[in-house]
Amino acid sequence: MTYDYLRRLLAVHVVLCTIGGAHVVQGARDFEKKVSMLLHEESKNPKCFAESRKDLTCFWEENEKAGSVDQYSFVYKYQNDRSESKCPLKAFHLTSGRKLYVCHLNQTQLFVQMDIEVNRDGHLIHNRSLLIESTFLLDPPANVTVSNGAKPGQVNISWIPPPVKYMDDSMMYEVFYSPMDSHIGKVEVARASSELVLRGLQPATRYKVQVRVNLDGVSYSGYWSAWSDPVFILTPPADLDPLIISLSVIISFIFLVLSLTMLVSHRRYLLKKVWPTIPTPENKFQGLFTIYGGDFQKWLGHTDGDLWQSPNVFYPEEGPSPLEVLSELPVSPLLQCPPLPPKGCRVPQEVKTEMDMGPSLQREDSTQSEDWTTKSHDHWLMERLQALQQHPIPYSQESQDTYVTLSHNNNEDVQDSIPVENVPLEVLFTSRKESESPSDLGSGSGQLSSQSSFEYSNQEWAHKPPGYTYMAVADSGVSMDYSSMNRLEDIGRVPVFTHEYKNDIALRRAFVTRQHHVHNY
Amino acid sequence: SSGLLALLLMVLELSRPSLPSPLKPICDLRVLNHFIKEARDAEAAMKVCREGCLLSESVTVPQTRVDFEVWENKNASEQALEVQSGLWLLQQALNLLRASVTNTQLHSYIDSCINNLLSLSGVLGTLNLQEYSPPTSTTGLEGTWIVSSPTELLQVHLNFLRGKVRLLLLSAQACQQHDVS
Repeated sequence: MTYDYLRRLLAVHVVLCTIGGAHVVQGARDFEKKVSMLLHEESKNPKCFAESRKDLTCFWEENEKAGSVDQYSFVYKYQNDRSESKCPLKAFHLTSGRKLYVCHLNQTQLFVQMDIEVNRDGHLIHNRSLLIESTFLLDPPANVTVSNGAKPGQVNISWIPPPVKYMDDSMMYEVFYSPMDSHIGKVEVARASSELVLRGLQPATRYKVQVRVNLDGVSYSGYWSAWSDPVFILTPPADLDPLIISLSVIISFIFLVLSLTMLVSHRRYLLKKVWPTIPTPENKFQGLFTIYGGDFQKWLGHTDGDLWQSPNVFYPEEGPSPLEVLSELPVSPLLQCPPLPPKGCRVPQEVKTEMDMGPSLQREDSTQSEDWTTKSHDHWLMERLQALQQHPIPYSQESQDTYVTLSHNNNEDVQDSIPVENVPLEVLFTSRKESESPSDLGSGSGQLSSQSSFEYSNQEWAHKPPGYTYMAVADSGVSMDYSSMNRLEDIGRVPVFTHEYKNDIALRRAFVTRQHHVHNY
Repeated sequence: SSGLLALLLMVLELSRPSLPSPLKPICDLRVLNHFIKEARDAEAAMKVCREGCLLSESVTVPQTRVDFEVWENKNASEQALEVQSGLWLLQQALNLLRASVTNTQLHSYIDSCINNLLSLSGVLGTLNLQEYSPPTSTTGLEGTWIVSSPTELLQVHLNFLRGKVRLLLLSAQACQQHDVS
C-alpha cells in the first residue's frame, strides 16, 4: 500500500512538473520577448515593467566583462517613505553573450513616485524615478476568435482581455488585419471593449488578424504588448446585389424589346442585306430552267422567232442594247466556244445611237433575238480565232486580256449597208491602225485599252443577216459598269455580272456608231 | 388638550423638513477622466513655471500610494473615508496655492482644479457614502504628509485622483447595482 501510494505520488509529481515545466518554459519565452522589446524601446536604465497590479520587474544589460551579481545592488524608495528597500538580483545570460541583471518585486505601490538606484561596488551606475502604473507591459489578448459578419465584407473579432482587475475600462486594443498574400494591412482601434467589427473586407480573401493591448494613459499607461498569435479567416464570396440583378434584368428586357421591334419593322431591309436574292434569269428566259433544265441550246431552238419578231417586248423604250464582255478565257482555248457557260459567250448588242440610253444589261434580250444567227456566228468566229492564232498580232498575244473598242467611223462604204439600229460592235485591230485609232477614239468613241482585238470583214458582215456579232473574248480586266444606265425596271431582275465593263462611252456621251470600221486583217 | 396635541403633531409631521431624495449615482468614469486630464495639464504647467509659483507655507496632503494587497483588504467605508478626507485636504491646499501663486497663467489651471474637486465631492455625495466631517486640525493626521513645493502638491493632487478616487468610484456599491457606462 505504501508502495502504491508512493507510486501515485510520484506520478502526480511528474505530471505536475511537466505541466509546471512547460509553464515555466512558456513563461521564460514570454519574459525573453518582453525583455527584448523593452531593450529596444526604453532608453532609461534600469528598464522596468509591470505585468499586473502588484508586481514589478526591473533589469539592465551588462557586457561580458560584467562582474558577478554580488557586486551589484538594487535599491528603491517610495516617496515619503522613511527608509529605502533592497531588491535581490538575478543574473541571466543572453544568446548574444551579454548578461542581464533582473530585480523582481511582488508587492508594489502605485500612484506614488518610486526612486531606484543601482550600484556596483558602491558606485552608482543607474538611477531612475518612475510611477509604476505607467510601466505596464501586459500579455497579449488571448483567445482571439474571428467569424464572418452578417453583411458581406464584415468580420467579427472578439478576444479575452488581460486578467487585470480594475483596469478593463482603461485598456485599448489595436487590431491588425491584412490579406494573406499582402504585407500591407490596416489597424483598427478599440477602447474598453473586447470585441470589434471589421468592415470593408474583400470577398473570398483569406485574412490574417492579430490583436495587441495597451493602457489608455489616463490613469494607467505603459507599453504596447506583443501581437497575439495570428488567426485566419476566409471571407465569403461576394453575392450579387439584388438591386443590381433586378436592374440588369429590366434593362436587358427593354433592350430586347427594342431590338425586336427594330428587327420586325426593318425585316425586309435586313433580309435583303443578309440574305440577298440571287438574281436568276428565269423570268427572261421563259422555260429555260423549268422545261429545258438549263440547256440553252435547246431553249434557243424552241424560241426562235417569237422574241425576234417582237423586239418591242424587250425594248419598250428603244433598241440599243449593251455590249457584254464576258469573263476571261485564254486565247487558245477559245477554239471551243460553244457551249460555253453563259459567262463565256456573249452576243454583242446593238450599238446605241443615243448616249442617254446607254447600253443596258440586257444580254438575254440579245441572245433571244439572234438565236438563228448564233450558230453561224460561232463558226465564223472560230475561223477568225484560228486565223488570229496563225497570224499573231504584234503585241501581247500572250495576254489574256482582250478588250473591245467601240469607235466612231466615217467610212461611207460601211455606212450605207448597215442600218443604224443594227450597227454591230466594231472591233479595231490595233497593230496597223494604231495611228488611226487615236483619231478614231478622238472622234468620240469609247476606248478601252486593247491588247488584242479582233477584226472581221465588213463584207462578211454584210452577207450575214442583221444580227449580232457573237464573239468570245477573253478578258480579265474589262469591266462594265452599267449601274448608272440601268433601266429602273431591270433592277433586281438582271443578273449581276462578274466583271464590270468600264468604258468611256457613258462618260463622253459622244458615242455614235453609224458605221463600223472594218479592217481586213 | 389631547385634540390640540394631535393637531400639533399632525402639523409638525406635515411641516417636517423632508429628507433629500437619494440622488442618482454618478458612476460614469469619463467625468473623473476629464478631471484627471485637467490635473495633468496643471501639473505640467507648474513644472515649467519659473516665477511667481511658490507655496507660501507647507500644506498637509493625503497619501496617494495604493498597495492593492492592502487596499483590497479595506472595507468600503474605510476606503470612502480615505478618499473623502484626502479630497478635503487637497481642497485646503489648493486654496492656499491659489492665494500664493502670482503667475496669472497658472491661476486658470488652479481654478479649474479647485472646481473639479468640488464637483468630485458632489459625485461622491451621490454614491450614498457616509457623511464626512472634516477634522479640526490637520497636524499629525494619519495617512498624510507634508509638501512645500507647488509642483509636489499638484503631483499629489493628480496621483490621488488617478489612484484612490478612481478605485473608489469603480468599486462603489451604488455603482455596482447600476449599469456603469
